[in-house]
Amino acid sequence: MAIVEELKALHADTLAAIEAAADTTALDEVRVRVVGKSGTLTAYLRNMGAIAKEERATVGKAVNQVRNAVEEALEARKKALATAELEASIDAAAVDITLPGRVQQLGTRHLINRVSEEICDVFLGLGYTVATGPEVETDYYNFTALNAPADHPSRSMQDTFYVRDLSGDEAAVRGESDVLLRTQTSGVQVHCMEDQELPIYIVAPGKVFRRDVADPSHLPQFTQIEGLVIDKGITFGDLKGTLDYFCKAVFGSERKTRFRAHYFPFTEPSAEVDVSCGVCHGEGCRMCKGTGWLEILGCGMVDPHVLEMSGIDPEVYSGFAFGVGVERVACLKYNVPDLRLLLQGDMRFLRQF
Amino acid sequence: MKVSLKWLNEYVEVPSDLKAFCDRLDLTGTGVEGVEKTGDAFDHIVTAQVVEKKPHPDSDHMWVCKVDVGENNVDAQGNPEPLQIVCGAQNFNEGDHIVTAMIGAVLPGDFTIKKSKLRGVTSCGMNCSERELGLGNDHAGIMILPEDAPVGLPFAEYMKMGDTVLDLEITPNRPDCLSMAGMAREVGAMYRADVTMPLYELEEDASLPSVSDLVTVEIEEAQRCPRYTARVIKDVKIGPSPDWLAERVTAAGARPINNVVDVTNYILFLYGQPLHSFDYDKLVGEDGKAHIIVRAAEEGEKFTTLDGEDRVLTNDMTVIAAPDRAVALAGVMGGLDSEITEESTTVLLEAATFEHGRTSRTSRNLGLISESSMRYERGVDDNPIADYSAAAAALLAEVSGGRVCPGIVDVYPAPTAPISLKFRIPRFCQMMGVDVPRADIVDILERLDCIVSDSDDADILDVIAPTCRPDLEREIDLYEEVLRLWGMDLVQPTLPSSPDRVGALTEAQLLARKINRAVTACGLNETTTYSFTDPADMKKLRMEGEGYGKPVELINPMNAEQSIMRQSIIPGLVHSVSYNQAHGVKNVQLYEIGKVFFAHEGRKQPKEKEKLAGVLAGAMADTSWNAAPAAFDFFDGKGVVESLARELAIPKLRFKALAAEDAPHLQPGRAAEVFSGGTTLGWVGELHPLGVQALEAEPPIVAFELDVEALGKASRPARDYVDVPEFPPVSVDVAFVVNEDVTNERLVQCITSAGGKLLSDVRLFDVYRDDKRVGAGKKSMAYALTYRAADRTLTGEEVEKVQAKLIKKVCGATGAEVRG
Repeated sequence: MAIVEELKALHADTLAAIEAAADTTALDEVRVRVVGKSGTLTAYLRNMGAIAKEERATVGKAVNQVRNAVEEALEARKKALATAELEASIDAAAVDITLPGRVQQLGTRHLINRVSEEICDVFLGLGYTVATGPEVETDYYNFTALNAPADHPSRSMQDTFYVRDLSGDEAAVRGESDVLLRTQTSGVQVHCMEDQELPIYIVAPGKVFRRDVADPSHLPQFTQIEGLVIDKGITFGDLKGTLDYFCKAVFGSERKTRFRAHYFPFTEPSAEVDVSCGVCHGEGCRMCKGTGWLEILGCGMVDPHVLEMSGIDPEVYSGFAFGVGVERVACLKYNVPDLRLLLQGDMRFLRQF
Repeated sequence: MKVSLKWLNEYVEVPSDLKAFCDRLDLTGTGVEGVEKTGDAFDHIVTAQVVEKKPHPDSDHMWVCKVDVGENNVDAQGNPEPLQIVCGAQNFNEGDHIVTAMIGAVLPGDFTIKKSKLRGVTSCGMNCSERELGLGNDHAGIMILPEDAPVGLPFAEYMKMGDTVLDLEITPNRPDCLSMAGMAREVGAMYRADVTMPLYELEEDASLPSVSDLVTVEIEEAQRCPRYTARVIKDVKIGPSPDWLAERVTAAGARPINNVVDVTNYILFLYGQPLHSFDYDKLVGEDGKAHIIVRAAEEGEKFTTLDGEDRVLTNDMTVIAAPDRAVALAGVMGGLDSEITEESTTVLLEAATFEHGRTSRTSRNLGLISESSMRYERGVDDNPIADYSAAAAALLAEVSGGRVCPGIVDVYPAPTAPISLKFRIPRFCQMMGVDVPRADIVDILERLDCIVSDSDDADILDVIAPTCRPDLEREIDLYEEVLRLWGMDLVQPTLPSSPDRVGALTEAQLLARKINRAVTACGLNETTTYSFTDPADMKKLRMEGEGYGKPVELINPMNAEQSIMRQSIIPGLVHSVSYNQAHGVKNVQLYEIGKVFFAHEGRKQPKEKEKLAGVLAGAMADTSWNAAPAAFDFFDGKGVVESLARELAIPKLRFKALAAEDAPHLQPGRAAEVFSGGTTLGWVGELHPLGVQALEAEPPIVAFELDVEALGKASRPARDYVDVPEFPPVSVDVAFVVNEDVTNERLVQCITSAGGKLLSDVRLFDVYRDDKRVGAGKKSMAYALTYRAADRTLTGEEVEKVQAKLIKKVCGATGAEVRG
């Protein structure tokens, strides 16, 4: 039968064309040409009526066989081509992954506030709260209530910024005023002792001011964190344990502390605390000037007179206080060579942290 | 305070391990600020012996020597080996003991000894003459030491020049440590070692008139001068001090002057008692007696101190006076016209105490800090004055050949009595968290010269504190002494055991942290600027008006640029922008949270308000390969405020245009006041270019300043939950053409109210102006509207109906036309 032979030939030709199709477009052309609405194979189906009855079954079977085979081949070829095309497009889409990413600028925190927050968090963990106080203080809270003698040099116009007093009160000392920029955050202690219920566990971070000319190691405005604990049965051992914990939390668990007896008017006994040098680990180097130790803060047991002035009975309560210079901690941790960088707002400095 | 260890060692045994000694001083409260070894100049210079002397093969006047330097030079096996030294001196023989500078020694004139070759022969050092060692002028030959001089000893040690001088930081509560005697007592207590002080036997010459016949002393105001004593030493011969005295005075950091001045300085350093020596003859009046009056200086009184400076005094100061004139500034410095000179023969020796507050103010106000004033400022013990005066007189007689007049004039109206204290041993141990045995407590206190005795109660000691320790006034002061000398390092670290505490941040502190998180997330960098500012800056920035109130003025600012407390953070931030721009940094995004200050008439302290301020200049970043950040404008500032408001859950955030007269510091048309409902939060806008330029910065600068307390009040603790949509939305875009004066806010209001419940979102996606296509004075505002129902999928007809109604209403209300 000629038709069957024709179909065989069409079958063979189509499979060859499918194999030869280079891309999905070419393949689709083959599909349309053969099995499309007016395709060559479709034409046989359409013209089935014209075929002799006795041959119809045979021809119909042959056409269907060819159609199935062609469609199978088309599908297989389509998959193969699609895979190849995807692979090609993936290859073409490769990028230089060393090109910079699409970054949204994240802002930065100021080094001092970052460190200050870090220190406060250590004490929050120890059950302290964070207290604040005014930056423009009275002489009473900054000096008198902290046992500073009336003639103490730190009260002089050379060392303390005084502010014009608009209350009309006569100043206690000639030429000076009873209102000043606080020289220490210790005044917050006194406010807390007066205002808060006992026991007291606080840290008080804040700006303080001293009449120093700005140079690499001095600023007229810097940051302190004051700590105060008043409770029954507080011991010097508690002071040591607390500050030892603090130093290890901030500088690293391998660091050691030592307490050197010292003098402050508002604590007794008083001490300065050193942390072991992180560069030489106590051997002595340039960083620690050969001592193996870095001075980090001042502290002591709250002087009973200071407690009495704030209406707390020193026979019942005891406590400790400490003051940390945040700039000092920051400089030791980050090797900042010049404190003035902290107040310039230089983007190249700020964005390092 | 400089302390010679050689000197100190005469009174108490100083440990040989210097590092351990310094550490112990540090730990017990005496800071060691410096260590100076006076023999250091003679490093690598040793005593030696010539063991061989042969002529130089190539020279007719040089010798090749083998010099034994003991263990200072060893061979490979570690045995001593003599050095080969080429020497040009002629005054020595084999076997002579000499002084040799080895390699590495530095001789006076910075002459470093190195290994060298002299006419082909190696020389490993130099045999020294006196002149080469800086000891004298003899350079005829090398220094020959006696035959018994040991070999290989450091030369400084051989000459007993090796001393170590410590520079000690004495805390202001310890005036007693400003003396060798006090330091000896301190070291004795540190090491529980015995202290032996020298005794000076005073021999008075009974043939001389008694002091009371030569001098009268009157103190006008006892408070200014608690005690004044005078002695007279006659037939003094002024001259240089003996070596031992000059050496001591030098070691203490003073310059030897003459025997009289050196003795007074020596006693000052030894006991901490300032003395003054007057030329008695210059004080004698017509009645043949010296009349000393201690009185207040007259206001404006003129006085020439012995440094030759003319001083003008105030009545706060105290002077030592003769009836006709002041002769010394009490406790600070003597007068020029009564000082000891070469011709002086009779010395009036003053030993006194003066009120410390006045002495301190006097020396500070005159800029005259002396060894005396420094001690008076901290407190000098009244009680042993007569003894110290006697010691000084005895020494004066010894070193100047003088004779001491019998007796003393001593005015001491109200003797200082020692203080009696209790020491409760259990309380001490409880408070310090350490068990110190009773015997140790007693021993430490006694070594500090306290008198300790048992009381009726076995737990309590009776303690009498010595008057040289004005800091020992209360029981706690004794606790400190025992703790520091027992050893703070022996106290076990513990943590407070109280359960009654909870660590938490206040709402205000949590708010500050939220603000920091939100603003840094917007890309701004936190900074800190000075809290003081230049009053001119506010004017330059056009930040004036009643809203700013009265500034807080500093009485003693460092300079005019820092003479008031800031009323806004903006000037400081603009200076920082200017600093960055001047250093080539064009993109600046800064913010600060800090206080501003407002003074009020009749109030002592100003109002302090916390503000959040930010500035944006340039762009967020430079153009990069895949991003081109736009230059900052008003909307970047506004965006920060909007993001912050979202983070703080501030409801009803509104921006109202600020008129030029209400905000002269902002560029008109790009300035807004920020509200939450009816509450003002602050402002945002572009700073006025004229103001920015006046602060030497380059506009545009976008800025905002918000009140932190107002932000906190407006902030809601949490946002409410809204159901997540279940049914799909229908989005429709529409563009309204409106007159320029119709604001986005107005359009959104109309759209929202007309859209009803089904309208769930309105987003402005385009603003378009074109004279031809849109029309002059008009703009096209294109919005994407999202419709959605909570309970069903919306049909096309429903949406079309609402949209048609919405367009009609918006057009009716605003005069808009829909752009086709």
